[in-house]
Amino acid sequence: MRKNPLELLRGLWTTFRSMLESPVTYQYPEIKRPVRERFRGRHELKRYENGLEKCIGCALCAAACPADAIFVEAAENTDEERYSPGERYASTYEINLLRCIFCGFCEDSCPTEAIVLEQNYEVSFTSRRQAIYTKDLLLVPVPTNGRQTPMKVPPGSFERAVPEMEDAK
Amino acid sequence: MMEKKIMDETFTVPIGPQHPALKEPSHFRITVDGEIVTNAVVRLGYAHRGIEKAVEGRNWIQNLYMLERICGICSHIHATAYCLGVEQLAGVEVPPRAQAIRVLTAELERIHSHFLWVGVAAHEAGFDTLFMYIWRDRETVMDLLETLSGNRVNYSVNILGGVKFDINEEQADAIRKGLDYLEERTNHYLDVVSNDAMFLQRTSGIGVMTRNQAEVLGTVGPTARASNVARDVRVEAPYGAYFDYPANIVLEERGDLTARFVVRIKELFESYRLIRLILDTLPSGDLETRMPRRIKEGETVCRVEAPRGELFYFIKSNGTDMPERIKIRTPTICNMTSVVKLVIGHQLADVPMILVGIDPCFSCNDRMVILDRSDGYKQQWTWEALRQHGIDYYHEQHS
Repeated sequence: MRKNPLELLRGLWTTFRSMLESPVTYQYPEIKRPVRERFRGRHELKRYENGLEKCIGCALCAAACPADAIFVEAAENTDEERYSPGERYASTYEINLLRCIFCGFCEDSCPTEAIVLEQNYEVSFTSRRQAIYTKDLLLVPVPTNGRQTPMKVPPGSFERAVPEMEDAK
Repeated sequence: MMEKKIMDETFTVPIGPQHPALKEPSHFRITVDGEIVTNAVVRLGYAHRGIEKAVEGRNWIQNLYMLERICGICSHIHATAYCLGVEQLAGVEVPPRAQAIRVLTAELERIHSHFLWVGVAAHEAGFDTLFMYIWRDRETVMDLLETLSGNRVNYSVNILGGVKFDINEEQADAIRKGLDYLEERTNHYLDVVSNDAMFLQRTSGIGVMTRNQAEVLGTVGPTARASNVARDVRVEAPYGAYFDYPANIVLEERGDLTARFVVRIKELFESYRLIRLILDTLPSGDLETRMPRRIKEGETVCRVEAPRGELFYFIKSNGTDMPERIKIRTPTICNMTSVVKLVIGHQLADVPMILVGIDPCFSCNDRMVILDRSDGYKQQWTWEALRQHGIDYYHEQHS
């Protein structure tokens, strides 16, 4: 260094030049950078357009989960109190977000595309109890034309677990 | 009455397991004579997570996600090594397009890992400006990986028998554009690490490892290549799409820290070349083939080149839907011996630089070891024995 003070100036010039560049940082949380299309964030349980829940309580997601983070308990649907198409619905659906590794295998294994890893990454909690997301937290709101579950439906109209609906695949 | 000064007494500096300068838990006992290091002992195992045992209780597909989470930086290459091994056992041929996408992601990951390392090493050298610049530019490749896979780390590109997603022309153009920017910046960084007088004072001639030493100590990856040891699994034993897209080996002769910087930065250019080549000549076809749920009985060994060096997988199947045993050896454990040898004779202030020179990843390398010697001596730690050992060890320390 003592031999060549120009080296110091050369380095400082690089630092000085960056003062003229615009910053690359985002002022989070005021400004949020949008996530990419394939981002895997917090789970959501989807509904059909008429408000019925897509989840049929088959617990394939719980079986698939490598981290053992999902707990599903199923109960019987009736036409008087219908939650989802088909025989059964998930009466309890819990995801422990402290265990979840956000791999998306539950999404891959779901036969009715009920569970989807959406774009919410702001998952924070202050206790272990809060880390367990229950069904009412995971379930999306009822669409505008739909009704709240449980709903009374005409007998025999939703016999199949995968119904012939517009957005049912 | 006079206090007798004992001349040959040395001082031991214990560093870790928890220490502000350590990014991950590990323990070093460094014996110094004044400022000069006379001996160094490393003690690993503080971040043992029992992943190898955990995978034995999960099926083959679940383990893919499990093993991908061994390392946060080189996650894709862990999944690739596992997939290659399991596909080999099942006798499944992966379509060429899937193989090319695997290699593409692996090279993007190598860029991200090397950028990360240059930043961390610059930080250890006290050159925080370079650290900030490098990590700013690293965001470019992180964004590309997020565009491709949805996540910045743990991309989850692989599935058994193929890959999860395709690359369209729009994404390919985004990658090309990102690489053009990165290449320009990499030229600048190569100039900085090889010419900046102040930085060279921290790196030039520090931690020199001769070629012979590198071979004897069994170093792998860029650490070995900086000492002119031609050791690169992509070249020696190509796997996947490296048959179609051969990689060139990057070697440096000096073996000091500067050489390790230069090797890693020059490897970036090699990665840029490979990615551009793959994007231009991506073979068409399927993305996956069907895999059986149960894998045929047998055992296999799989070697891949992680950004840090050779990654080794041993996979044993007993014909069920769960593996019987998976043994993983990560590159850090191979390179760790070189650290304790190289620090001797250097100043204490150079120890962090020499340690970071191998690109260590402690939580990746912590594995349980069973001693099974040829003379019949066998040792395996049970939970009770480990606990007793811990109690004895700390009693010994405090007595």
